Amino acid sequence: MGLKGQAAIVGAAQYKPEKYATAPRMFHLEQVADLAARALQDAGLKASDLDGLVINGPQFHEASVFVPAMAAEYLGMRLNFAEVVDLGGTTSVGMIWRAAAAIELGLCQAVLCVLPARMAPFGPEEDPAWMARAMRFGGHSTAFGAPEAEFDLPYGHMGQNTGYAMIAQRYAARYGYDPAAMAKIAVDQRTNALTNPDAMFFGKPLTAEEVLGSKMVADPLHVLEIVMPVAGGAAVIVASKEVAARARNRPAFVTGFGEHLAFKSPSYAAEMTETPIGPASRRAFEMAGLKPGDVDAAQIYDCYTITVLLTLEDAGFCEKGEGMRFVREHDLTWRGNFPMNTHGGQLSFGQAGSAGGMSQVIEAFTQLAGRSGDRQLKRCDRVYVSGTGGVMSEQGALILQGA
Amino acid sequence: MSMNKPMPAPTEISAPFWNALKEGVLRIPHCNACGHWIFYPRRHCDRCFSHDVEWRDVSGAGQLYSYTVARIPTLPDFADEMPQKLAVVELDEGVRINTTLVGLDEAEIRIGMRVKPVFDKVRADGATLLRFTAAEKDFPARVDSTPEALAAEAEAKVAAEIAATSVRQVRFDDEAAMKSLVSDVFTPWSTQVVVDQALIDEFAKLSGDDYWIHTDPERAARQSPFGGTIAHGALVQILQSRLKMPLGFEVTGFNNMVNYGSDRLRFPSPVPAGSRIHARARVKSVEKLAKGMQLTLEVTTHVVGNERPSVINDLVILYM
Ligand SMILES: [Zn+2]
Repeated sequence: MGLKGQAAIVGAAQYKPEKYATAPRMFHLEQVADLAARALQDAGLKASDLDGLVINGPQFHEASVFVPAMAAEYLGMRLNFAEVVDLGGTTSVGMIWRAAAAIELGLCQAVLCVLPARMAPFGPEEDPAWMARAMRFGGHSTAFGAPEAEFDLPYGHMGQNTGYAMIAQRYAARYGYDPAAMAKIAVDQRTNALTNPDAMFFGKPLTAEEVLGSKMVADPLHVLEIVMPVAGGAAVIVASKEVAARARNRPAFVTGFGEHLAFKSPSYAAEMTETPIGPASRRAFEMAGLKPGDVDAAQIYDCYTITVLLTLEDAGFCEKGEGMRFVREHDLTWRGNFPMNTHGGQLSFGQAGSAGGMSQVIEAFTQLAGRSGDRQLKRCDRVYVSGTGGVMSEQGALILQGA
Repeated sequence: MSMNKPMPAPTEISAPFWNALKEGVLRIPHCNACGHWIFYPRRHCDRCFSHDVEWRDVSGAGQLYSYTVARIPTLPDFADEMPQKLAVVELDEGVRINTTLVGLDEAEIRIGMRVKPVFDKVRADGATLLRFTAAEKDFPARVDSTPEALAAEAEAKVAAEIAATSVRQVRFDDEAAMKSLVSDVFTPWSTQVVVDQALIDEFAKLSGDDYWIHTDPERAARQSPFGGTIAHGALVQILQSRLKMPLGFEVTGFNNMVNYGSDRLRFPSPVPAGSRIHARARVKSVEKLAKGMQLTLEVTTHVVGNERPSVINDLVILYM
């Protein structure tokens, strides 16, 4: 069962994260075309090589339905495979394995996975107030009959912060809590970002004291343990072995994946501290024939520090309840004994909507291809990547391997 | 509670649950096929998919599964609940409910603690939310937190405060005494007024300012960045006259008192329809002029719970 490792990431592009206020405004179709051209150039492939498209449906500016057809028409693509992924922060990981699976099935040879995440120009009816209105309930549905509109929003249960905070609080009650270890996650990732000129927080060192001294948003989460939303966008090209052979970079073969989801509000999880990344990661490792200890780096979705902690445990990098100790006892930087989020993670790189998770995929690819510059790992042949959507409600894992 | 706070819109499926809450009863679906309890309400069992489901009353006893204290409102409209004590409760029947904790200090909250339900009437039409408190707490099982009830509660509290405060008499021409009133510290909060849609509509009629963001709740719900209508800044400004404030001093001995208007008038944040407002003040400056003694009183009016004022008004008063 599963992938045979016949498809690989061969090229990628992403916009440098920027503040929304100052980032260029581009239509999403235009961003898709621009990112596609850049990713093709990175891969050393031609537009005519592409015959598959995986794109975001939600938050696509110019359409909410028929998005792939509109994008194919706009770009000038002929597609044998088209897919929309709606998995929040794990959309990135979900796109890559869907593309790889379609290629292994023989449906297509090269798939553009793309996530535009800059704002579009305001139309005549749109203004900043319109934006504020659209963002008022974030990712929550206010539709009549939507369970969260009826049973969560009236109590003030909304947004992501408090959900993650409640998971962290329950973790603390079950296993104990070391705020300094949690701060170390953010600090080690910042150390990584100091080698990444594209990172939002490049050139801005961070100490544990600063993390713990920053504003408490929802107990026990400080503001510096929470990602900063930025404008950006990303594209990745997944191609068949044959196409990969004529691409420019060392390919990153997709040898394992897993995905798991069962709820939107973690309140309804069987146990909210045992996250879906557990089953997703077990499947991914099993498919690749690897164990967690076999990877050279982990690019772990990090919307919050607590996400990283629970992923370290549930993906099997350490025992349940030992995550804080694991963090204390390991150097998580690019020069350390457990290189993690070597680009800075989204906490230091910035989170460009659902493209934020693609930064982890792209960092894995870049490390495997030996193109990570100052932060390049000496040896990098196998990388674990995770994705997290909602409030640890939809999660996915990938194993990427260099040839 | 501002009327722009999200409220549940009961469906055919969920109505029995919401109606029972109004009666102070917790009623949830139970699966006859497999014995599973179901929350939130559905017509099927989310364990075995059977549709043989019936409503049953439960005690509401359970334990605190998890919680957090939100230090920044999850939506500006929740400013009057700060800090929000958001919680997940697991009933003894096994279902979990997203809720908030009431009647508890932060230090009293522990995951795993026994809890009991509090039926909280939040709207005059009887709409009731299900909150929880500690099982051992002496806290009423039914509370009324409609804006009107909360404003009345505040009224009584401030009246008692004013009655208990000794008022310092200051002669208007005693420059030293008058200057000693100047302070960086604001008075305690005033009484409260509910700025409801009826009041806003009346003001729109009087002033002629009937812009939709004030007067059209349906359009505002769709298009306003605040999720609904907001009061006119000028309305909130003049409502100051309705608020009783424990100033703590009284200027005496003058023949005439002239309201010179305002040195500074700002509307830094909106007042959504249905909000309660209150105010506080401080003497900003006292100046002896040829005509008499001029006192500047900085009055700030806030939506209850909101640190940011909705109106800042530096009132200039001349005593002669
Ligand atoms: Zn059943």
